[in-house]
Amino acid sequence: MPDETEIIQILDRNGVKLARIRSDAILQESEVESFGRALTVLAEVPGTRVVLSFLGVRQLTSLVLGKLILVHKRLVESGGELRLADIDPHIYEMFAITHLDRLFRIFEREDEAIASYHAAPEA
Amino acid sequence: MPSSSPETDSRSEWTEKVLPTRLELIRVAEPEVLGRLRELGYTEDQRFAVRLAFEEAMVNAMKHGNRMDPALHVVLNYRVLPDRIEIRVRDEGPGFEPHLVPDPTCDENLNRPCGRGIMLMRSYMDEVSYAYSGREVCMVKYRKREGGGA
Repeated sequence: MPDETEIIQILDRNGVKLARIRSDAILQESEVESFGRALTVLAEVPGTRVVLSFLGVRQLTSLVLGKLILVHKRLVESGGELRLADIDPHIYEMFAITHLDRLFRIFEREDEAIASYHAAPEA
Repeated sequence: MPSSSPETDSRSEWTEKVLPTRLELIRVAEPEVLGRLRELGYTEDQRFAVRLAFEEAMVNAMKHGNRMDPALHVVLNYRVLPDRIEIRVRDEGPGFEPHLVPDPTCDENLNRPCGRGIMLMRSYMDEVSYAYSGREVCMVKYRKREGGGA
């Protein structure tokens, strides 16, 4: 059974925390909880900027969407931010249906998401 | 020996499973349903839609219906036909009023972590209705009907 060190890999990329999901599905409650814990830990450091890559993820449930919202809130409260990338079209549709594509900034690729943190703010 | 039509094929009859409230058991029932869809040539998009709705219905029944009480059960009924799949999931909880669930896509609810399962079921299945005071959700997905997110 995977724990948080297995389901999410955290890397430092140019001052940004890059979180890569190591499973093609997040379905089991234990996986959802591990996923949430691993990301919530990042919010303990104020101002943490996170990119969560969904590369290879083919299945998830609304429980994962709920966790993402909680993590997003924690990060924003601590002055950080969560941006998403590499989302499979099927999964992206879930974000669109639930309008979460309005809550999160979503990028096609993780490098674009990382670079976006270093881009000049929009006027 | 007469050949069986899809409607008389025993595999097109309703299958019932009574599951204790344990989330891991959802994964025990799921491959059977999806395997039958694959056998009948349902597309990947259709299988994705059914899998998602199935998961959401089962999770809702166990978490929100039975409140994860291991003494309570979820009754799953399904049948897979060449033109549609029908799924019924019933819990032993107090029931609920589906129309009272806040719309998670409203701006004021966008930050709420709950309430998206029902919306996803409605989006991915062609028909979603409730019976037994909200304790049973009934879902239908038609194979050739377009729209509904798959």
